Amino acid sequence: MPQYAALIYSRDVDWTRPEFDQETKDYAEFGQAAAAILRGGAALYQTATATTVRVQGGKGGDIVTTDGPYAETKEALTGFYLLECSDLDEAVKVAATIPGAWDGAVEVRPVIDFGG
Amino acid sequence: MLATLVRLTGDLQLAEDAVQDATLRALERWPRDGVPAEPRAWLTLTARRRAVDLLRRESARPAKEVLAMPVDDATEPETVRDDQLRLLFTCCHPALAHETQVALALKVLCGLSVDEIAEALVVPPETMAKRLTRARQKIARARIPYRVPADHELPDRLRGVLATVYLLFTEGDDPIGEARPALVDEAVRLTRLLRELMPGEPSVLGLLALELLSDARRDARRDAAGHPVLLADQDRTRWRPDLVGEGIELVGEGLRRSPDVPDPYVVQAAIAACHALAPTWADTDWAAVVSWYDVLLTVAGTPVVALNRAAAVAERDGPAAGLAAVEAVVGLERYPLWHASRAELLTRLGDRAGARRAWDAALALPQEEGRAAQLRRRAEVCRK
Repeated sequence: MPQYAALIYSRDVDWTRPEFDQETKDYAEFGQAAAAILRGGAALYQTATATTVRVQGGKGGDIVTTDGPYAETKEALTGFYLLECSDLDEAVKVAATIPGAWDGAVEVRPVIDFGG
Repeated sequence: MLATLVRLTGDLQLAEDAVQDATLRALERWPRDGVPAEPRAWLTLTARRRAVDLLRRESARPAKEVLAMPVDDATEPETVRDDQLRLLFTCCHPALAHETQVALALKVLCGLSVDEIAEALVVPPETMAKRLTRARQKIARARIPYRVPADHELPDRLRGVLATVYLLFTEGDDPIGEARPALVDEAVRLTRLLRELMPGEPSVLGLLALELLSDARRDARRDAAGHPVLLADQDRTRWRPDLVGEGIELVGEGLRRSPDVPDPYVVQAAIAACHALAPTWADTDWAAVVSWYDVLLTVAGTPVVALNRAAAVAERDGPAAGLAAVEAVVGLERYPLWHASRAELLTRLGDRAGARRAWDAALALPQEEGRAAQLRRRAEVCRK
């Protein structure tokens, strides 16, 4: 069965704060409703906590870290799920029930199956 | 046949390769051995064998599944129709960009070459080839399903399919640019397929009616020199009565089936029917045309619809009222036909200087050469 990554782009905020209790509850409800097809996922702290890592000169080279996310955008990657769905139609239907899609956007991407 | 192979293999690229190989084989064999009794069945069977070979070579996918599929039903008209519908809904899947949907439909449902599609959609051939490759990849990798949506999803999905089919039609039915009857015929064929799927759906009835009533004028739309002839000046004896008759009947059915919420396609077809029923331009029931435009504005209001309504007002109430209606339409300052409408009405009102300025404004705007040439001819007529 094909898998899809559902990448959630929404407000770049600290979702652990009490003012986001409702959102947290919505996500918990989604997690229960979609439990049968969820294969993984996580919520992420805001981009201010991100560190971007590059190795200069390729493998084994100098490690260079930058404070902040790889790309600065208005809506940030705030979480992701791994979904197992029969086809894109089903994946889109599920993605539409992720709370992040209601005031942000969810990018649905097919996962490569290397046959391993 | 391609549609059938896609159902059997579930893979657009593979189906296309297999059909192409089968066609090449037919070109080799048929002149030598004679055309088989059932050419379609022969081609489908050959293409399926080829698909199985290709699958085996890839070996990552289950060739057995394809082998197990019954192929003998693939020549039944009903199966062929269903396969085509499935493919149509796949091509018009909302996860594909709109311009991609049209290009894909032209390629896999109408069998046009990449060069032909590139020309029809005014895109460089390399860009079109890349766009089609990306679309096929997305269908395969993201698993866009090959199926006609379930009944409860149909209304939503139908809108996109109809928009794509209508775009296909208008690409072929361009009254100014080059006419492409093959695209028109394909669009009508696909609309008829949709009607078989949803016989009572007003928007399908409306789109089919709109297409037939517009296509009925095909032969009257050009003069002997190939220049476009406006509706007002067309020789109406050259309109095809069979298409007019069928179109008008469909409008009636579409209206009966959408008594509460008018459907934009049915309403546009009703306007076309008013023209089709009028023996001459002067004898057109302009009050009815204006009323239909009023209805259209409520369900699909755009500035261009408002401009067309204003042109009908000019015929019903005279050029002064028409000009006021044209000038009341906002947002078309960059649209050459808005200026052209003003120019023609100013001419009728005797304001030659005003008309000249309006023509200049119309011709100064960027537009395709064919359209500009037609506006120049209209300006010429006004000056006389």
